[in-house]
Amino acid sequence: MKVSAIKPITFVLVKEIGMTVLLLFGVSIIAFLIILASPGDPFAQLYGGLSGSEAERKALYESLGIPTTWYGQYFSWLGNVLQGDLGNSIRSGRPVLAEVVSAGINTLYLTLGALIVTLAVAAPIAIYTAIRDNTRLTISFNLFAYMISAIPVFWLGYLGIYLSTHLFGFFPLGLGSSDSGNIAKFLLPIFILGMGSGLISEVVRHMREQVSRVMNEEYIRTARAKGAAVWKHAFKEGFLIPVTEIMAIKMPFIIGGAIIIEQVFNWPGMGRMAWQAAQDRDFPVILGITLAAAILVRLSSLLHKIVFVSVNPRASHL
Amino acid sequence: MKIKYIQHTKDVSQYSELSLLKRSDKTDVVFVGYGLFILSMVLISYLLGVLGWLPFTADDMDMDLMMALPGTGSHILGTDFLGRDMLTRLILGIQAYFLPGLLAIVVALGLGTFMGVLSGYRGGYAETVITYINNVTDSLPRLVLILLVVAAFKPDIYIIMFVVGLTNAPAVASLVKDKITFLKQKNFLEASVALGLSTRTIIFKHILWYNCRTLLIIQATLGMAEAILIETSLSYLGFGVQEPTPSWGNMIQAGANYMMRGDFWPSTAPALAILLTVLGFHLLGDGLNNILEGKRRK
Amino acid sequence: MSTNPLIKIEDLHTFFYSKAKQAFIRAVDGISMEVPRGKTLGIVGESGSGKSITMMSVLGLISAGPGVIRGKVIYDNGRIKKNLLQGLDDFVDLQEHDGTIMQVDKDLYGWQQHSEQLMKNIRGNEISIIFQNPKAAFNPFTVIGEQIAEMVLLHTRINDPVAAKAKALYWLERVKMDAPEVRYYNYPGALSGGMAQRAMVAMALASEPALLIADEPTTGLDATIQAKVLQLLAEIKADLGITIMIISHDIGVISSLSDYVAVMYGGTVLEYGSAKDVLSTAYEKKHPYAKALLASIPGLENIEKNGARLKAIKGEVLDTIRVVEGCKFASRCDCMTDSVKHKCNTQQPPLEDIGGGHKIRCWLYQ
Repeated sequence: MKVSAIKPITFVLVKEIGMTVLLLFGVSIIAFLIILASPGDPFAQLYGGLSGSEAERKALYESLGIPTTWYGQYFSWLGNVLQGDLGNSIRSGRPVLAEVVSAGINTLYLTLGALIVTLAVAAPIAIYTAIRDNTRLTISFNLFAYMISAIPVFWLGYLGIYLSTHLFGFFPLGLGSSDSGNIAKFLLPIFILGMGSGLISEVVRHMREQVSRVMNEEYIRTARAKGAAVWKHAFKEGFLIPVTEIMAIKMPFIIGGAIIIEQVFNWPGMGRMAWQAAQDRDFPVILGITLAAAILVRLSSLLHKIVFVSVNPRASHL
Repeated sequence: MKIKYIQHTKDVSQYSELSLLKRSDKTDVVFVGYGLFILSMVLISYLLGVLGWLPFTADDMDMDLMMALPGTGSHILGTDFLGRDMLTRLILGIQAYFLPGLLAIVVALGLGTFMGVLSGYRGGYAETVITYINNVTDSLPRLVLILLVVAAFKPDIYIIMFVVGLTNAPAVASLVKDKITFLKQKNFLEASVALGLSTRTIIFKHILWYNCRTLLIIQATLGMAEAILIETSLSYLGFGVQEPTPSWGNMIQAGANYMMRGDFWPSTAPALAILLTVLGFHLLGDGLNNILEGKRRK
Repeated sequence: MSTNPLIKIEDLHTFFYSKAKQAFIRAVDGISMEVPRGKTLGIVGESGSGKSITMMSVLGLISAGPGVIRGKVIYDNGRIKKNLLQGLDDFVDLQEHDGTIMQVDKDLYGWQQHSEQLMKNIRGNEISIIFQNPKAAFNPFTVIGEQIAEMVLLHTRINDPVAAKAKALYWLERVKMDAPEVRYYNYPGALSGGMAQRAMVAMALASEPALLIADEPTTGLDATIQAKVLQLLAEIKADLGITIMIISHDIGVISSLSDYVAVMYGGTVLEYGSAKDVLSTAYEKKHPYAKALLASIPGLENIEKNGARLKAIKGEVLDTIRVVEGCKFASRCDCMTDSVKHKCNTQQPPLEDIGGGHKIRCWLYQ
């Protein structure tokens, strides 16, 4: 009984993991080709900033056995990446992998925290407006969600800094400096990103659609007819699945918002690093960050698939 | 908290003959009205900027009137931290995103429609490939990709908006594809073929014009909102339009330093402009969607 | 035991706002009927006649925003006696003009809260329901056994999960589910329509209700499975002595189970009486609609009578937005005689007792 119930789920998961790998492969090609299309010899930079005239470099490539075609260069680069060698940062000279991982963890705190803030604000609005019909309150909630999504997040960040310095007397900049023990310093950027990433209105809309769809399902009517608690029956399809779904879909957007917020608050994450790398044309770093961001996105999508399949008995029949 | 439902007509049989305006939800009509107002303001401001019909010149400094609030002297919307006229700079700021935004929209809609028709109408192999491309672009955070492009090429807003258009194309394609799949389910396409219509007539007239135009208009308005937000983010990051040429993003960024001293207006005015404009395009898109596509629930 | 009917519906009205038509639909328009204790009432009518809405109104399952329910539904099981619609009118303000509802002001939240309060200890506990389309009516995310056990835990004295599971298995066995131990762990998606309907019956009975409402219990099932489900319901009725309200468009289903029958049309009852009186084709006095309904059943008797052709009822189900002046069936009636024609078209006939509790709403018999 149990074995036969697990089998299709593992099958679906293996398929999803395979898909994830395939998509990351596609991302790596696109990212590499964009860099390779830039003027000069970008590939030389990936190999630690080889210099000299084109003829000299060509001779050097041949002597080192480095391919000169684009696909040859791609696979040689991919081979290095798969061995964990993303090259060295042109700016700092340190290995990219270590830098990206430590910055990535900081970004992860920021994005996950912001997602929680977004959900904490959006989910109650969505559920409330789905359950009650078109009232004045619903409309003002909607307008609030629309407005907050249209405010540029960096202005919101500055407003937050101004208010916290003037009202609460602390300066929320520079994570990791001497007085980083102050918890409010961490919370403000997270809160601002959660509110201002532009996601609230989309989360509200998506969840409201899902909740009101589920509330009109026949099995919810059955639950009411049974005299059972409706939320218990609606929880999986009306809350758990839409929440993980929206996390998966919106992960790229929240990472985009994180880039801006890290800039505003001097948060030492991937976003600031990417900004610096874009200015310095530090190709190994920007490629590493692109891959890391794509991995984050794919992992959140994978998480959604896992939740969906393990919660939904119908999915395992697919 | 009371709700009120009113029957609009005494004779219900006339309902289907009511104008679209009367049949639609009132809030949607207000949304679309506001959106159209913003759209016309943007268009007018763009033209004013092109023609140079402005109250002041963009870098005309009035050293006696710095950071003036709205309504000070002849400055209707006040001045910034260098005493430059706010209204003039806000109007000119539209130049920074208007044409690049249009480029992004044209690329996204053009390429997206092409891909959508290809995968929806032909199906099979093309559909698989396009779904894959869609998933790949979805895996890349937009701003990370833009920074990658900035690193590879110089920070040129047209190149960036071209890339934004490219990354939006798969989403448009999947919407068009869904629409075509829907039409196929209704046996609409088979009927058209049976009528002896040419493939070109079916695709351009019956699929795209009759069935996809509202969808494309909605995507265009949402695309404009996105273009504004991306341009302002880039200007903020220093990769967009550079001072002293005004853009809403660099105006906020430059004004932010003064904000810390309590002088809100120089950065709040462009922030408000962004808020009202992006809100307008979002409401326009959603309102049109509800009215024309009937997405509202029962 | 008192002789009061278990449930007595008096002048029930249910109105809906249809967004598509931008108008109020008079789905149920003045219904009175009663279900005697321990008996089975069958409600028959075409789709759109308001029979399912009647059932939903009785259970307070009408949730659509501006829906209005008025009238009385008196539930009396000897211990509890209450009007299930008590005080709901206080939350609604309704304006009618010329037989059409023009405006409804409704305190939706207050209305819902009040309705839930009235239905507490009634829904599930006293009244259980079997829905049409049982596969969709079960929660697809939970195994059916647990859903039945939930009913046991909610509405019986059993509050130990292990005992509840045993009880659920007992009910699954009782409805003749094959291999109940296995089926207990099945998700609804894994069951066939017939099995799902059996499980639905088990769930409905698990709370040991006084009234079982079956809403189109056999619609969508294969003919052989239909017969089995009907047989199951008949056995339950005989074994448990439970009161049943069965709703169907299929007069065959109604006739196999019912003691009393109500024929509904356009939101009103056109004929009500014992099954014998209403369903017998031999009976002289019948409502023309009921007559036509009986004549439209494919059966040996009818084929002999009409040759090989069945008799379809002409016309469509009427539009229910406006109060119809005159008899609701007038436009489709072919029994109208010249002497009553004027009355049929201008005045609604009352539901008149023509003897022995057999009531007919027709000018022909007044």
